[in-house]
Amino acid sequence: MTATIERPSAPSGPPPASAGGTTTRSARAEGWVRRAPLLPALVFTIVVTQIPFLLTIYYSLQSWNLVRPGSQRFVWFQNYVGVFADSQFRGVALNTIIMTLGSVIIAVVLGLLLALLLNRHFIGRGVVRTLLVTPFLITPVAAALLWKTTLLDPTYGLINFVLSPFGASGTDWVSTYPLASVMAALVWQWTPFMMLLLLAGLQSQPGDQIEAARMDGAGAWAIFRELTLPHLRRFLELGIVLGAIYLVNTFDAVYMITQGGPGTASANLPFYIYQRAFLGFDIGQSAAMGVVVVIATIIVATFALRLVFRSFGAAGSES
Amino acid sequence: MAEVEFDQASRIYTPGAKPAVDKLSLTITDGELVVLVGPSGSGKSTALRMLAGLESIDAGSVRIDGRDVVDVSSKDRDIAMVFQNYALYPSKTVAENMAFPLKMRGLDKSERAAKVAEAAALLGLTDYLDRKPKALSGGQRQRVAMGRAIVREPRVFLMDEPLSNLDAKMRVQTRSQIASLQNRLAISTVYVTHDQVEAMTMGDRVAVLADGKLQQYATPSELYDRPVNAFVAGFIGSPAMNLLDLHREGEGVTLGGTDIPLSREVRDAAGSADTVTVGFRPEDLSIDSEGSGAGVKAVVDVVEELGSESYLYAHMAEDESTTLVVRGPGRTTVRYGDTIALRVDADAVHAFDAASGERLA
Amino acid sequence: MAATIEDTPTTTAPQRVEGRRRRPGVGPVLLTTLAWVVAIGFFFPVLWMVLTAFKSENAAYTDPPTLFFSPTLEQFRAVFDAGIGPYLANSVGATAISTALVLVLATPAAFALSLRPVEKTQDVLFFFISTKMLPVVAAIVPIYVVVNEIRALDNIWTLIVLYTAMNLPIAVWMMRSFFLEVPGELLEAASIDGASLGRTLREVVLPIISPGIFATGLICVIFAWNEFFFAVNLTAANAGTVPVFLVGFITSEGLYWARLSAAATLAALPVVLAGWFAQNKLVQGLSFGAVK
Repeated sequence: MTATIERPSAPSGPPPASAGGTTTRSARAEGWVRRAPLLPALVFTIVVTQIPFLLTIYYSLQSWNLVRPGSQRFVWFQNYVGVFADSQFRGVALNTIIMTLGSVIIAVVLGLLLALLLNRHFIGRGVVRTLLVTPFLITPVAAALLWKTTLLDPTYGLINFVLSPFGASGTDWVSTYPLASVMAALVWQWTPFMMLLLLAGLQSQPGDQIEAARMDGAGAWAIFRELTLPHLRRFLELGIVLGAIYLVNTFDAVYMITQGGPGTASANLPFYIYQRAFLGFDIGQSAAMGVVVVIATIIVATFALRLVFRSFGAAGSES
Repeated sequence: MAEVEFDQASRIYTPGAKPAVDKLSLTITDGELVVLVGPSGSGKSTALRMLAGLESIDAGSVRIDGRDVVDVSSKDRDIAMVFQNYALYPSKTVAENMAFPLKMRGLDKSERAAKVAEAAALLGLTDYLDRKPKALSGGQRQRVAMGRAIVREPRVFLMDEPLSNLDAKMRVQTRSQIASLQNRLAISTVYVTHDQVEAMTMGDRVAVLADGKLQQYATPSELYDRPVNAFVAGFIGSPAMNLLDLHREGEGVTLGGTDIPLSREVRDAAGSADTVTVGFRPEDLSIDSEGSGAGVKAVVDVVEELGSESYLYAHMAEDESTTLVVRGPGRTTVRYGDTIALRVDADAVHAFDAASGERLA
Repeated sequence: MAATIEDTPTTTAPQRVEGRRRRPGVGPVLLTTLAWVVAIGFFFPVLWMVLTAFKSENAAYTDPPTLFFSPTLEQFRAVFDAGIGPYLANSVGATAISTALVLVLATPAAFALSLRPVEKTQDVLFFFISTKMLPVVAAIVPIYVVVNEIRALDNIWTLIVLYTAMNLPIAVWMMRSFFLEVPGELLEAASIDGASLGRTLREVVLPIISPGIFATGLICVIFAWNEFFFAVNLTAANAGTVPVFLVGFITSEGLYWARLSAAATLAALPVVLAGWFAQNKLVQGLSFGAVK
């Protein structure tokens, strides 16, 4: 139950307040008093996040390349046409989808397995959990660097060392499988997050249900299928949605491991846009791409958020 | 010490919908312990919270010592409340919890310590003053909540189901402690509970509420002996009174082949009504365990042995759907499945209008 | 004997003892071993990084990789010689100040969305999350242009402002969930005890949510410290943060692995320590407080 603090001469029935339609002067003044603490954060956020976005739209309507100063002029939607005609853009968009969905799904599956492993008491459980969480905490840039050098390097990397008995030595992972290399680093970093999330889900499952199911004669697999998975469903949804949100914006790993290459084989949208803007100096085009990405994100996010809100109730917290 | 008055007080959440508290009027005299009792949804907690200032008063007024408190905020009403879940401040020790209201009133450290020590001694909390709530048992927390209330010597005590989170034994023990404490301090107290046993044992007067409306406001014995409607009759007393809709015949009603006479006043009040709701308590039935004598024949379904007495639940031989409860002796020989004959003591019968439930004379 | 995989989706109450006394099966031991193996496997790259940081360059660059070596601190010294100092200072400054700002702004905002809710609470909450969902990359261009115009490129305060905006939504969501955990009865009791709103907040609410404030701060520290995109595009030598410093290792210093590992260790250390402290709160913050 949301808590409310009583104020004199103000209707304070069941929260949230001001459910009625009356706007007496004291009720309106009360409204502003309630809003006041919210305003600094709200205003700050609006200014810092919305203004740049509006400017992006503005720039996207212009042809503007920093290398050619003075050539700035309005071309309206020409940039957008350019975006969709750009075959590289399409390839990069596809990369982004593969990278995001692939990493998320693998991380979720691995995370689930790890969570199941950790969902029992054993010696050193706390230490194990701490060890497993660490990859997520490493600064992404440092992690990417780590993968690129000590792990994926063709000659001296650990991966090739470990795989050499199986005859896979000498592979230059970064050049041959750029997308997979980036995804490996991402999965390594994000599996712990999924594990923690799903572990929380497993531990919130009421023990009595499982005991009742056992009495009813259900075996381990049946319990998992019929009870655990449905219970975990909203955690899985949350993990996938959140993972996708964070991962679609990945920049650090691409930058550090492959620089988007070879060519744009492993570039994702954020990196590609960055390239266009800061390496190609094409402000107009990159802005248009940014807008397209934003619109796509809004569409996907509206569905995703509805999922998140539905799973956890509108109050954002659930018992 | 104060007089509390509810004057047509109402709490309406949505205009047009049924009020949670509907024109409640009752007066609590100085030093009295009044219990508000009723099933859940009856409005008893809401009424208490209106008095506390935690719910607004949408119509009518609530007065403390003659002063209308509708515009007075909780902290200025000079009341103290014991919550159902105790609402102790988790980060403070027992002593700090009890001293908090005094701190809010500006008393200095030594004064606070003195009053806290006094209240703690009264409640047996002196050894726990340095503990935090999470290190206390349920009963101890309850006492701390009471201590926080009495330390201020307010005008009115409010208690919202303070015993419902205690186990059965603690409940009985604490009940009498609260009652004796209240007698000693002589502070007007409004006590809310859903348990009619608590109501009957603790209240100087008891107000029975249902659906937001006051049903009856009287002393426990009056509620028991002369319930003003069928609801109060069935609510007060455990096990509940037997309430049956019976057909008029001659100078009374019939039940299972026997006649139960009704007094002249009752018959006049009933007018031409065909059916009358008749009530009789389990102790007003006598049993002929041989089953052969005159009386209503019934087959025993459950025998409850309580040591000092027993209660028999039996369904009528004639009408399986009607169950009667009768009080029997402590060592009853009646068993499950036995047929017994029951006779109603006509003098102890209560009669209510079959349609409205109101008492007929 | 069937491996007792039954134990995997087991009862969750941690203190409960398994009622049955069974012969200790092979299953649990296998699972425990598996857990350990996997954990070490996952952790190994980190371990390798830290080990390599203590190697000399020759030892770092061997085929097959060496596990035993004589440790040296020379890489760390080299990293400091290469100038990581100012970058560390910048990271500390940007992180600390932006986190403080976030807490100062987010706490009253969260209060206004929970205990004394404004009318449009749901809309406001939605707005806050939506700012996190939009790709940052879309805004970088105008931000760069604006920052350039006001000559705030390579200025630590630019980062501070951006990091504050970046972390505010999460902080508001997290703090709100902590506020909501305060039982309503406590506030009512305080009110009846004579406490004004301000005193109630100070004396009753604050002690209860202080772990929450700490957790929120921790999450903000982690995100601010690790942030790369803004830092790399908007700063250079003056205001560069530690992640920016690491960039140098993929170009000119590409072959100095031991030194690279030392730098990476230094870069990652504060956050790893912070995260080890508060693993659960981490998830809570990242999932917008939805998971308790």
